[in-house]
Amino acid sequence: MTRDQHRRLVAVYLVCCVMGTVSTAQRAQDFQRKASMLLAAEPENPKCFAEGRKAFTCFWEEDEERAGPVEQYSFTYAYQNENGSRCPLTVAPAAGGKKLFVCHLDRIQMFVQLDIQVHRESVMIHNRSLLVELVFLLDPPENVTVSSTGHQGQLNVSWVPPPLKYMDDSMIYEVMYAKEGDPAGQVEVARACSELILRGLQAATRYRVEVRVRLDGITYSGYWSAWSDPVWMETLPADLDPLIVSLTFIITFILFLLCLIVLLSHHRFFIKKVWPTIPVPDSKFQGLFTVYGGDLQEWLRQTSGGLWVTSALLYSEERPSPVEVLSELNLCRSLASPPLPPKACNASTQRDERELSNGSDSAQTDEWRATQQQHWLMERLRETRPGMGSSLLESQDTYVTLSTNNHSEEDHVDDTLEEALPLEMHVASRKTPLSEFHSDLGSGQQSSGSGRLSSQSSFEYPSQGWTPKGPGYTYMAVADSGVSMDYSPMSRVDDLGKVALYANEYKNEIPPHRRPFLTRQYHVHDDG
Amino acid sequence: IQIYKVLFILLEWTCPGLPSPPRPICDLRVLNHFIQEARDAEVAMKSCRDGCGLTELVSVPQTTVNFDDWERKNATEQAQEVQTGLWLLHQALGLLQASMTDVDLNNHIDNSIRNLLSINAVLRSLNIQEYTPPTSAVGLEGTWKVSSVAEVLQVHVNFLRGKVRLLLVGAEACQQDVS
Repeated sequence: MTRDQHRRLVAVYLVCCVMGTVSTAQRAQDFQRKASMLLAAEPENPKCFAEGRKAFTCFWEEDEERAGPVEQYSFTYAYQNENGSRCPLTVAPAAGGKKLFVCHLDRIQMFVQLDIQVHRESVMIHNRSLLVELVFLLDPPENVTVSSTGHQGQLNVSWVPPPLKYMDDSMIYEVMYAKEGDPAGQVEVARACSELILRGLQAATRYRVEVRVRLDGITYSGYWSAWSDPVWMETLPADLDPLIVSLTFIITFILFLLCLIVLLSHHRFFIKKVWPTIPVPDSKFQGLFTVYGGDLQEWLRQTSGGLWVTSALLYSEERPSPVEVLSELNLCRSLASPPLPPKACNASTQRDERELSNGSDSAQTDEWRATQQQHWLMERLRETRPGMGSSLLESQDTYVTLSTNNHSEEDHVDDTLEEALPLEMHVASRKTPLSEFHSDLGSGQQSSGSGRLSSQSSFEYPSQGWTPKGPGYTYMAVADSGVSMDYSPMSRVDDLGKVALYANEYKNEIPPHRRPFLTRQYHVHDDG
Repeated sequence: IQIYKVLFILLEWTCPGLPSPPRPICDLRVLNHFIQEARDAEVAMKSCRDGCGLTELVSVPQTTVNFDDWERKNATEQAQEVQTGLWLLHQALGLLQASMTDVDLNNHIDNSIRNLLSINAVLRSLNIQEYTPPTSAVGLEGTWKVSSVAEVLQVHVNFLRGKVRLLLVGAEACQQDVS
């Protein structure tokens, strides 16, 4: 034998030794695991199990302190109608300070009763009769594979059954699957097959799968094997059901159409709400904004007030607001019996009376002027609204009393009265009931007061009947024209000279039949 | 052509069609059913107190199976061993049926005898040649002598689970179906 051959033999020998050692260690490890399982599952002693068609193992456990040497024990077995035989025993360590006495048989017979007896120093300590084909403890299935089936919520589990001839159709399997993080799981049973499809799984979820095997108990029987090594697999993500997607799309489309129909049928309403029309007085004050930049005074200077009034009279298609001018003198004569309607007439107060007494001389002149003005106004009113006359006194329209104590500045006003200047009113207000005027004519540019007239005629009427206060006062009943205007409560005589300018912007849309058309200037005392 | 037609018709009348071979019964669930019923009879025997004993020794087949020894035998030997055992069991159950007075146990034995006949039919379906042992069971190899009904029924169960099943599993007719 050459050196090379010798070396090869030594190498092969070493490999075999190593492999034998490894396999021995592996077998020992397997035995330890199965022994621990049987110690928990089998109450009788000795505990026996068959691993295949040939291997058969029996063992029992004793405390290390009480157990004697192995030579003290004898394991004898006998098949039915045969002579007994003795099995050589070995010792294996066990957990918890115990040791195992093991008997291993390589040649076994099945479908016949086996009688086993264990003696310790001629004293029988264990006795058992069994059938070998009924105590199988198999190895767990190998090559457990988990794969996707291509369908949502399913996994395909396959494995290789233990290699036992004649027993394939007698095996049953348990497949345990659990979600990641879930210690407990579900179990599915498979009979005489090596594949199983798990259904009803959650989408996009990681599952742990384990398999174990046992014989069915009809021809062969035994214990459940250990669980195979766990295999992890994630299920397919959820797919959108085409039916659900299509139904969702159809429903969304229908809802969209419904919304569109509602919007189109009420588009004017929505447009008003979203983009409310802001009234622009350009049409009424031609050139005021475009030419004069909103300067009303300049515009008034440049334009003719009479033309404005005339044009308004001629071209306005609106009904003139019933502004009724009441003359104190006229009221005293014509309304002797019926009182004036309880309107928010600014009755003069004692203060006005004092002023009257102080200016008695000028009062007479003023009175004559006021009378003239009243006649003129009445005529104008009748022209526009026939039969208005006294009926106005009994109407329910809003009334505003005006003072006839015109200042020197008002001469210009009187002179221009015929020219129909824009009506500028100072609404006299009482402290109590008449102080709560609300006008929405707009924010006056020089409005110093807080009173505002509501366009909806929110005048506070005096609880008492309105009575004329005396000569020299011109009372003008202003119908509810929907005109908002600012007024400044006149608390002093000096305030009479102040002119309240019309506001350029209207707070509310003036109803056509209530829009004012008169343009007369009247000063109203503040009774407060 | 007319002559050939007449001859063909005459042949049909004179030579009836050969019986087609029975379809092989390879489904082991049939045998499992027989095994279950044999177990039921064995369990019923344990509760029998009176009128359930044997007056003489009965020969029953040995049920011991060593897989290596079994595989060393050929199909014919296996078939003959199984058919001999079925014949012996049939004889033994017949003796029990005659001596048994327990009605419930008698029903089980009757059922077991019918199952043995069914197993023979299954073997025939597998094209296993029929074998009838000699009438005298004395000196037959592979037999035991038992003296109790319990032993007879135990042997019955073990024989069906062992040798009979191995024969059916290894039957050539069933192997051809699988392939």
